[in-house]
Amino acid sequence: MFEGVPIISIIIMLPLIGAIVSLLLGKHEKYAKWVAAVFSGVALLLSVLVAFSFMVNPDSAATGYHRGADLGDDNRFFDYQFYEDYTWVKTESLGINYTVGLDGISLPLFVLTTLLSFLAIVFSWDTSLRPKEYFGLMLILEVGVLGVFVALDYFLFYVFWEVVLIPMYFMIGVWGGPRKDYAAIKFFIYTHIASLAILISIMALYYEAGTETFNMEQIAVAGMANFTTTFQVVVFAAMFFGFGVKVPMVPFHTWLPDAHVEAPTAGSVLLAGLLLKMGGYGIIRVAIPTLPKGAHELVYVIVIIAIASILYGAMLCLAQKDLKKMVAYSSISHMGFVLLGFATFTTLGIVAGVFQMFAHGLVTAVLFMMCGVVQHKAGTRMIPSLGGLAKKMPIAATMMTIGFLASLGLPGLVSFAAEFMVFLSMFDKWALWLFIPIISVAITAAYYLWALQRSMFGPLTQKIDTSHLRDVDWFEGVPVGILIALIALFGVFPSLVFQYITPSVEWLARLLAGGG
Amino acid sequence: MEIWNYLESLLPQLILLLFALLMPAFDYLFKDKRLLSLLALAPLVALVAAMVSWLFLGWWVPPESNIDLIAIDNEFSGLFLLVFLSVGIVVVLGSPEFIRKDKNQGEYYSLILLAIIGMTVVAESTDLIALFVGLEISGISSFALSGFRKSEKRSAEAATKYFIIGGFSSALTLFAISLLYGVAGTTNIEGLRTAMTTPSGWLSDGNADPMLLLATVLLMAGFGFKVAAVPFHMWAPDVYEGAPTPISGFLAAASKKMGFAAFFKVFLVGLILSITQWQEAAAALAIVTMTVGNIIAVSQTSIKRMLAYSSIAQAGYLLIVLPVGTPDAVTGGLFHILTHAFMKSGAFMVVAAMGAVAIGERLDDFKGLGRRAPWLALAMTLFLLSLAGIPPLAGFASKFVLFSSAVYASSPGPDWLVWLAIAGVLNSALSLYYYARVIKFMYMEKGPKDIIRLTPMLKLAVAVAAIMVVVIGVYPGPVIDVCERAAGFIFS
Repeated sequence: MFEGVPIISIIIMLPLIGAIVSLLLGKHEKYAKWVAAVFSGVALLLSVLVAFSFMVNPDSAATGYHRGADLGDDNRFFDYQFYEDYTWVKTESLGINYTVGLDGISLPLFVLTTLLSFLAIVFSWDTSLRPKEYFGLMLILEVGVLGVFVALDYFLFYVFWEVVLIPMYFMIGVWGGPRKDYAAIKFFIYTHIASLAILISIMALYYEAGTETFNMEQIAVAGMANFTTTFQVVVFAAMFFGFGVKVPMVPFHTWLPDAHVEAPTAGSVLLAGLLLKMGGYGIIRVAIPTLPKGAHELVYVIVIIAIASILYGAMLCLAQKDLKKMVAYSSISHMGFVLLGFATFTTLGIVAGVFQMFAHGLVTAVLFMMCGVVQHKAGTRMIPSLGGLAKKMPIAATMMTIGFLASLGLPGLVSFAAEFMVFLSMFDKWALWLFIPIISVAITAAYYLWALQRSMFGPLTQKIDTSHLRDVDWFEGVPVGILIALIALFGVFPSLVFQYITPSVEWLARLLAGGG
Repeated sequence: MEIWNYLESLLPQLILLLFALLMPAFDYLFKDKRLLSLLALAPLVALVAAMVSWLFLGWWVPPESNIDLIAIDNEFSGLFLLVFLSVGIVVVLGSPEFIRKDKNQGEYYSLILLAIIGMTVVAESTDLIALFVGLEISGISSFALSGFRKSEKRSAEAATKYFIIGGFSSALTLFAISLLYGVAGTTNIEGLRTAMTTPSGWLSDGNADPMLLLATVLLMAGFGFKVAAVPFHMWAPDVYEGAPTPISGFLAAASKKMGFAAFFKVFLVGLILSITQWQEAAAALAIVTMTVGNIIAVSQTSIKRMLAYSSIAQAGYLLIVLPVGTPDAVTGGLFHILTHAFMKSGAFMVVAAMGAVAIGERLDDFKGLGRRAPWLALAMTLFLLSLAGIPPLAGFASKFVLFSSAVYASSPGPDWLVWLAIAGVLNSALSLYYYARVIKFMYMEKGPKDIIRLTPMLKLAVAVAAIMVVVIGVYPGPVIDVCERAAGFIFS
């Protein structure tokens, strides 16, 4: 369908053009939302078309097919589709290319990005404070995240990685809550330090590989021969820290609750739905395949951190009074499953990890949107001040219930499939140690149901004025409705996504089995 | 005929000199207040003409026409020339509005041109004597420039301080040169290296003559003053704060770079063979400079002082080049010098623009700038993010090349070189705090609502710098190429 068309670049350029148009609107600020919706909508449409024309088991007939480098022993590196490769900087000592492409790991996240960006823009339809900047920044954020998921050159990857920071900093800092200054700068500095660990690692990889190119594949292939175990351990540790802060993993998670509590709703949706995925994606796209020995040496560190994140995040949720803060902490817990899945180094576990990222993106977006609705309508998100809202806003209560149930892993909804597979893969590898992370299932059910009971059901609260309480507006209900439909769809038919992820991960798992 | 060769090869300098001498006369001609703002056109013409003449110089000047003391036809000096002239253009564009009520405007431009001549001589020098003369020409002009508003106490204090410390550093440099002449018997920079290769006892078996060590230390201090390396930095914040703002930008973006030209020439050409003697000292100087600069910058409430300390920190990054001492490092250093010239002069021009409309230069004065002057605030944001090293801006690309050279060199060279890169990266993270704070004040704090109007010249000055920061950031290839070739001359 897209033969000969640089479709990935076009999809990345669309929001960028939209952002420029939006920022240049001048006095016609009220059209900014239309600009944003149109540009991100077209990007969404195109990305869905890309997904449909993506070949599950690609051969040379696939659009823009790039066959992975041969590693011997019937191993090879990832195959890519929609591959584009242009020289960007070529000097004696530096070789930087603009290389982008999609494989089964990046495709679900790529589509998730265009989807959530579009829905977040629709959800912000009534933004009246500086709309042209607001929507412009949202679009720039979309550009950055999309770029991270498709970049196949380290330099390009890092550029996109950092581009994400600035719009998020402004979104928290300008449109945020009461402590926005503190939260914005904490977010910025914290994640920037993590980025710098990645930067140093990239430099080390580049020079150690001696390939004179920042191409991820070539560096990884050269590294199979060149990288010593010590080097791999050191660099993997640095990269894991850099990506892990973004995930976020305990103990580097403290920026997340602050950022979420203060960020505007759409900002939280993108932050939890997309930015956290960048961390997980970085680990599985860059750190593990390039430094397999380092990953093997440090596997127990990953497992311990993953389980700590799962349990500690869940326990923190129990203690929260703020609905949004609770949801924020639940992200830490759920992203821990991603790490745990990756740490098994098996096809099943890695597929589960990637699928959990996708699932969490959908579910957490619903949760944050519903927190936004409550905040918007009731004026507070504090659980003790709420109660019985279901009487006044039945649709919102229904949506929230579905969101919470999806997040706690109700079978038939998307998270169940992901978490179940993570547990299965862990059982496969470490048998009964599974009992430790599985405790979180009970805790998760507890905090969600308890919060739901106290905020939505029971007698109507007297602590806030409920006389003017309205149900969801269309621009809030529609995005949540779409997400819920997808949560149910992929919950019942997870193989719709698995079929993309599995073939790519199989190569990786084989590589890990060989390289270990 | 030889005299013609001399003149031809010095054409850029001669053009600048001609205009420098004519400027006071132009001042007299443009006595009419309305015409006064046109005065700035003359130095602009001079700078552009000098740039053009240099670009074509390579075509008609045969290499053998090089004078003994300076070499014109190489890309190393050419790159610096380009930096100095570009900064000159940005500064001159930003000046008329800022000094419109001052007297002696002709002299002001004249001094800028003279200072640039001195800087280019430093960059082109092949001999310590020429280098010293260049340092002095630019130094003396800079002292006078920073005291341009002589009735203003701050300005006069800045000039005095700058003069005393500058004089002191010149004395150190000259003393070091005389010592080197004593041991090596030559003041030629290449000659120093040649002298070291012959077994003469003053550098044998890794043991250096105490004279050589003393000269190295003195040179490090002398040039250290010029680039404001810690602990020789005390003058910089006061001078940058007291001097007229465009001149602060000029000092930070151009004058400081002259110091690096001298550093690179003398240490990486003349003293490269004794690198093990001074490598660790230079590394310590780099790390201390960047760390102290950044830490003190965090607590500043005056933007000019903050930029001054940030400039010290940037000097620390550039000093990484010396201990690493590879062609890659010099490439990165030159590249960072180039990008820093644009981002720092741009940032100072924004501050100058604020000063020109009498708003002030404290952090508080930047409140709400995002609404009052959206384009100015956007440009400032770009400069600050670029200084912090956020992609895809120029500062990121140049820091990337610079720091990665240290990572690369640590594999064949000493392992500890990698710590230079790590220190640089950590410092970049620290610096983000105070840069982001300015951005926060511009966009997230409520300030006065009135719109700020700027003159076209100032807008152009800021726009030129901002466009360069973005363009070099997005497409750094050709610039890195040029820097690589320039670095090649150091090691040829």
